[in-house]
Amino acid sequence: MRGKLGLAMFIAILSVAFMMNHAQAQNVRAYMGLSPENNVKVVNFVKEKTGISILQTFQSFGEIEAKVKSEAPNFNADMITGCGSPLAFMAKKNGWSVAYDSPEWKGMTSEFIDKEKFWFNISNFSFVLVGNRDKLKEKGYAMPKSWKELLDPKWKDQIVMSSPFSSGTANMIRFSFLALYGEEQGWKFIEALDKNIHHYTRSGNAPTDLVGRGEFLLGITSDENVKDRLDKGFPLLWAVPEEGIGYDGTFAMILKGTKVMDVCKKVIDVFGTPEFSKMMAKMGYVTPHPAPNALYGDKTPKYIKLDLGYAAEMRPKWNDVWKEKFRTEFK
Amino acid sequence: MAMAEILSIPQRNLWEKIKTFINAELIHILAAILFLLLAIFLLYPILAVLIKSIKGPEGLTLSYYAKFFTKGYYFQSLLNTLMLGFINTVVCLTVGFCMAYLTTRGPLSLRKPLKFITMMPLIAPPYLFAISLIILFGRNGILTKAFGLNWSIYGFSGVVIAQTLAFIPLAYLMIENTLMSLNPNLEESAYDLGASETRIIRTITIPLLAPGILKAGLLVFVMTIAEFGNAAILGGRTPFLAPDTYQMIIGEADFEMGSVLSVILIIPCIIIFFLHSYLLTGKKFTTIGGKPVASEPRKMTPLVKIPFLIISCLAGLVILISFGVVFISSFTRLLGVKNEIVFSHILNFDSNRAIYNSIQVSLVAAFIGAIIGTLLAYVIVRGKFFGRTFIEMVSLSGFALPGTVIGIGYLLAFNTPPFKLTGGIMILALNCVFRFLAVGVEAGISKLHQINIEIEEASADLGANFMTTFYKIVLPIMFPAFIAGFIYTFMTAIVSLSAVVFLVSPGFELAAVKIFDAAAYGEIGIASATTMKLVVIVIFCMVILNFITKRTGFDVSQKKRSVTV
Amino acid sequence: MLNDIHKSYDHLEVLKGISLDVTKGELVTFVGPSGCGKTTLLRVIGGFTPFDSGEVILDGQRIDHLPPNLRDTRICFQNYALFPHMTVAENISYGLKIKKWKKNKIQERVEELLRLVKLEGLGGRMIDKLSGGQQQRVAVARALSLEPKVLLLDEPLSNLDANLRLTMRGEIRKLQERLKITTIFVTHDQFEAMSISDRIVVMKEGVIQQIGSPIEIYEQPENEFIASFVGYVNFLDGVVERVDIRPNMATVSTPVGEIDFVPERNFNVGDKVKLVIRPETINISRSEPTTGDNILQGEVEIGMYVGSLAKYTVQVKGERMIIDQTNPRETGIFKENEKIYLTIPKNIHVLRKN
Repeated sequence: MRGKLGLAMFIAILSVAFMMNHAQAQNVRAYMGLSPENNVKVVNFVKEKTGISILQTFQSFGEIEAKVKSEAPNFNADMITGCGSPLAFMAKKNGWSVAYDSPEWKGMTSEFIDKEKFWFNISNFSFVLVGNRDKLKEKGYAMPKSWKELLDPKWKDQIVMSSPFSSGTANMIRFSFLALYGEEQGWKFIEALDKNIHHYTRSGNAPTDLVGRGEFLLGITSDENVKDRLDKGFPLLWAVPEEGIGYDGTFAMILKGTKVMDVCKKVIDVFGTPEFSKMMAKMGYVTPHPAPNALYGDKTPKYIKLDLGYAAEMRPKWNDVWKEKFRTEFK
Repeated sequence: MAMAEILSIPQRNLWEKIKTFINAELIHILAAILFLLLAIFLLYPILAVLIKSIKGPEGLTLSYYAKFFTKGYYFQSLLNTLMLGFINTVVCLTVGFCMAYLTTRGPLSLRKPLKFITMMPLIAPPYLFAISLIILFGRNGILTKAFGLNWSIYGFSGVVIAQTLAFIPLAYLMIENTLMSLNPNLEESAYDLGASETRIIRTITIPLLAPGILKAGLLVFVMTIAEFGNAAILGGRTPFLAPDTYQMIIGEADFEMGSVLSVILIIPCIIIFFLHSYLLTGKKFTTIGGKPVASEPRKMTPLVKIPFLIISCLAGLVILISFGVVFISSFTRLLGVKNEIVFSHILNFDSNRAIYNSIQVSLVAAFIGAIIGTLLAYVIVRGKFFGRTFIEMVSLSGFALPGTVIGIGYLLAFNTPPFKLTGGIMILALNCVFRFLAVGVEAGISKLHQINIEIEEASADLGANFMTTFYKIVLPIMFPAFIAGFIYTFMTAIVSLSAVVFLVSPGFELAAVKIFDAAAYGEIGIASATTMKLVVIVIFCMVILNFITKRTGFDVSQKKRSVTV
Repeated sequence: MLNDIHKSYDHLEVLKGISLDVTKGELVTFVGPSGCGKTTLLRVIGGFTPFDSGEVILDGQRIDHLPPNLRDTRICFQNYALFPHMTVAENISYGLKIKKWKKNKIQERVEELLRLVKLEGLGGRMIDKLSGGQQQRVAVARALSLEPKVLLLDEPLSNLDANLRLTMRGEIRKLQERLKITTIFVTHDQFEAMSISDRIVVMKEGVIQQIGSPIEIYEQPENEFIASFVGYVNFLDGVVERVDIRPNMATVSTPVGEIDFVPERNFNVGDKVKLVIRPETINISRSEPTTGDNILQGEVEIGMYVGSLAKYTVQVKGERMIIDQTNPRETGIFKENEKIYLTIPKNIHVLRKN
């Protein structure tokens, strides 16, 4: 009887000890919002180059934004290693991030580094149209050449896209369309498109997989995983429709209150190295240091003209409009 | 012993006096400490949610509630949830009744297998059925493709089916329990007097079972509306309260509306919790006969036998198939699309690490929970002080509250110093401790009732002081209850999702959240494999529980799954 | 009539070939220790427990394939099995409603039955508001509502307290005699069985030990078990020494001495026998008796005075014997270690031992 009690206590103490273990040196807790696999690739890269372990759990841009907003000013992470532009600007404005003059980032363009050095854009990404080759062939449809084609009733319930609340990709998609068509026409377009959307996913990369597996015919998805899935042999077709695509950055910053400032700085440094850019470009990102882009190759896709700052400011308002228009659904 | 007495006893020094005081008042001190813990970790978070829902920028306001009831979207969520609860309850009760009737009055050969299958969902997390339904009926589902179905599993119907399957065992267990305590002579008398079986069921069985069925129904209702996983995974564009609270908080950081939804969700749960407790003291129709007894197999008329059999077998079949496909899907790359056997899902490092984390957290939670539960039980049964029933109610209330609400509560309550626990790991464990306290407490209480207080009095008579009696007599006898609480808390904590989904921190993944993410992301293989591993762990725990029950003769197995997970 | 009934549960045979004839209008009691199969047998007759082989015949027709409601037997369970959510009247009329009797006819019959069991006016009461005895009578009334040919009572008095049992015993017997209804009564209480039955069926481990009237069972038990089951008995083992034809007398040598008895059947010299001597048949006295009966000398070991009688445990040549002395006032109380004389009559029931 005593023995059993002792055993139980032993197990418990062991567990607690293990848990203490987690708070070891050379660890940095980060909120990270690239696609889950790409998160892992970045983490591994950093670990290899510096021995630093980034502790992260995938969360979408929107979720990171929500978390940071609610935690301020006592953050539960040391840094952000991948979030969208709205949060980057917001963090700087609210004094949540810490400026750091990283040597690796010297001379980077203003697209990739904040003038006051509060945020660092480790890569740009876009959204593209994807389609399932086999299923399209079955139905006898061709890949749409323009965004406007997506409004055709034949695509009803066949398109998936992420939700602008959680996904940075969808946020990007939304502000891109609004920029492309102007706000009034833009909302009309989005409403019409909504009729063909089956459901909005949580993460920006989910449509790549859903379409790749043939669950849906078309998807508007982040370009982050497209190259990887093509390599894996999924029957994906992808295209940049004629009106062009939008873009957003993937931002990193150090959060105020971190107790491992030096470790964070080192991580930022790694992000600024050419090797890092090369790795990211191999996945299809557009990087601070120009590098061969595996997805687009030599062709720079047509970009829609965007004002990220404006888009960031309008996000709360546009969220409300979206809620009004698209959250009154019921079956 | 009154203070004056203590102080007047000639003792050697102050220390002796203090020791005596502690000895005498130990129960009260213990009770006070425990109550403090309960207040901090159970009452305070709920209060935080309540306050958040009415605290506007300029002071208290009901504007958020107004928003809830006027904006179509939110209100629809409430309606959907209530509908879901209602439909689910009806279906679960019906199936549960058919199965319970068959296993207590049907042919002997059918009883064991039917009971086994019916209880299977208990060992799995409820969201297993969301996964199995996706595999079968998803866009690429096996049955969707085989029969060219045009029906989408994502939406109201999908959630209903998944929830029904998950909670059939609950309804079944409770109905079976009352059926067994129903004196078979009653039905035999009716039979003797010429009643047909349908008439017996109609005029005797069901009226006498009514309180038990009602209790079962209430419980199923509460479990259904509070459960998060299935509704979140299969909900699609159909809103339900529990996943919506998640969306509010995690997706939009709208804590105010999230709290409002939580409060709305809590209300039916609390009401039902009270009703439940009161119903226990209601009319006792069933036990004029005494001990629960399985009656002899009766010749059931086909009019009754056939529909019951059909319903039961259908439900049983679906349950079996669900487990089957999830099991197979753990080994296939993408069941239904790419049917190659792979082991990558099973060996997936991230999900294994998540399971490892979950085990750790659950062990700690189980240990703390069992200790607190046992101590609470002792204080409740043996203590004689004002507020005892209140403490009992509070400790059992974690039971009744939806996990999402407690999760949000913890998020709100423990996010700022001096109580900053969020982002850490202890918060996960503590959350599980207080949510699942009820079992340890109940086990302890029932065990203590078995111990005559005279045993403790005899010990005191023989010269032992309180501490010694407690340590040498009470604790060893209560050990089975402690173990029961430990294992049950572990089992429930490890699959629990609704609360921890709000509390996970970067780098420390939990298995349940991993499954949820994987399922939502479409990685069915990983979701299946991780789920199966959890099932194996739970089975292992139940084997141990069974072993202990046999060894100590203390039946713990009845205190099974009745908590929102 | 029961013909060679066999019944097993899970390889345990609980009824090992029961055959029995019950006459119309009799009250027959099945009595025996727990587990002897008496309740099972009752349920077999009633149609609630299927059996493996044999026949159940009522009025010349086989009924064993019929469900309970089609047999003309009605059962009254040990715990009454009254429907707790119904009133007394609703309970009693349950079977009548099923038979679709007209409402006024039902009411008449219910009132008639209530009068029969002396519960007039209680028709509207809920069951849980009745005392144990009243519940018992409602159960009987309900069983009688459909005028069955056979009434089956399963330990109907076991749940009542001692005094009530005694009165109810008499009530049931009176009722049964009045209605002249064939009744099968199951009990484990031998006194109950003795006091009301026309015939008793003693059962043990699934086998009928003996069927007979109470007097037969008590005074001429056919084996040791039956003898000691009903009342207390002094057993004396012995060997037959002498058998005379005229006068009809035999002598047995026992550890306490030679005992003469009047043989009820043929015994041979050398037979090993067991004498069954009831405590109340032995006379105890201080002075040497002058009758010709068997006289033994002994010493009182313990004496217990219970008012109506005195029970003595007496040592005779190393054997213990129990004597019940009725009307102890006549002879006075014997004290411990007092030397006394025991007189054992010559008409003793003797069992053959083999």
